[in-house]
Amino acid sequence: MIDKDVRAIRAEIERIDTLPTIPTILKKLLSVIENPKASLSTIGSFVSNDPVLTSRVLRMVNSPLYGFPGRISSVNQALILLGLNVVRGLLLGVSVFEAMQKAMFGLWEHSLGTAVAARIIAKRKKLSEPEEVSVAALLHDLGKVAFSLKFPAEYENLLKDVEDRSLLIVEGEKEFFGVTHADAGAWVAKRWNFPPNLIEIIEYHHKPHLAKNFGTQAAVVHLADILIRARGFGFAGDSLVPHLNQAAWYGLGLTENDLKDMLSELEESLAEASDFVLSDD
Amino acid sequence: MKLSRAVVNDSGMVLLPQGTVLTDSLIQRIENMNLTSISVEGGAESRKPKEEVLAELEHRFRKSDDQPLMQVIKRAMREHLEAVYNK
Repeated sequence: MIDKDVRAIRAEIERIDTLPTIPTILKKLLSVIENPKASLSTIGSFVSNDPVLTSRVLRMVNSPLYGFPGRISSVNQALILLGLNVVRGLLLGVSVFEAMQKAMFGLWEHSLGTAVAARIIAKRKKLSEPEEVSVAALLHDLGKVAFSLKFPAEYENLLKDVEDRSLLIVEGEKEFFGVTHADAGAWVAKRWNFPPNLIEIIEYHHKPHLAKNFGTQAAVVHLADILIRARGFGFAGDSLVPHLNQAAWYGLGLTENDLKDMLSELEESLAEASDFVLSDD
Repeated sequence: MKLSRAVVNDSGMVLLPQGTVLTDSLIQRIENMNLTSISVEGGAESRKPKEEVLAELEHRFRKSDDQPLMQVIKRAMREHLEAVYNK
């Protein structure tokens, strides 16, 4: 157990953007998108002025994640097609990417896979904004990145400990920090002025039945996370599959046949997603 | 097995283009080229034997035996993996 109360932990987690280990690109980006009044054109021109960011965003939107393969050629086009919230989330995703790879080997693949799965589920459920759900899925484990950036030694020990004792990572976090990566992720998301649905999905991706306004979206990400772990794609911090919440499953109203169809669909996109993971540079 | 990226030498000259099918003799030549790494399509995962993949699945679900819903997920995933690895 860490010798700090929750308030102190929260205060430290909320300041992760000041850490020297945070990529410069993310710091610059936060200064623009933390502003809730930032318009499409402010963000568009900011991104377009940075070739690294531009290429990362274009690769992402043209990847199997978003179903416009090879058709989006400019940041402005991406903003129009996907909307400001999605592009804001994507920008954060691709910038947290570097930190994610260092934080936990395989966490980026896990996040990417969950985003693909969430989009497939959201589309099957005919939700109106599958891309928004997918972006939330991409960032759902933001709290793990925050923990490992702020408490690297402690978090590494925690990972070893959960493996030795066959625990879920949330169980280990609860024991050691008194809070979980879902809480930590939501703190950071609030601090960075994420849209409300994103904050709520991150906070409740393990307990979607407690989400107040975006329960269905949270349930989609909850199921996506479980399917990706069950598939063994990437690494989320432990070698178990968290239990599917009953209310979330019945609320989604999916059948075992739906599951099988979605798994086949997922398989094709994952093959493309792993290429995407491997070819980053 | 195909190259997912071109093999280039130190000065950036392409030795083998992306998509080259790797035959035994080509693999031998590549081994003699003193390269640090090459990229092939498919990645390591798809080369795992099916038995190992299914054993790992059981291992991931080792604490879900008393959960009927998790059994549904595991069953669907097992059937799915069997289909994928039988191809």
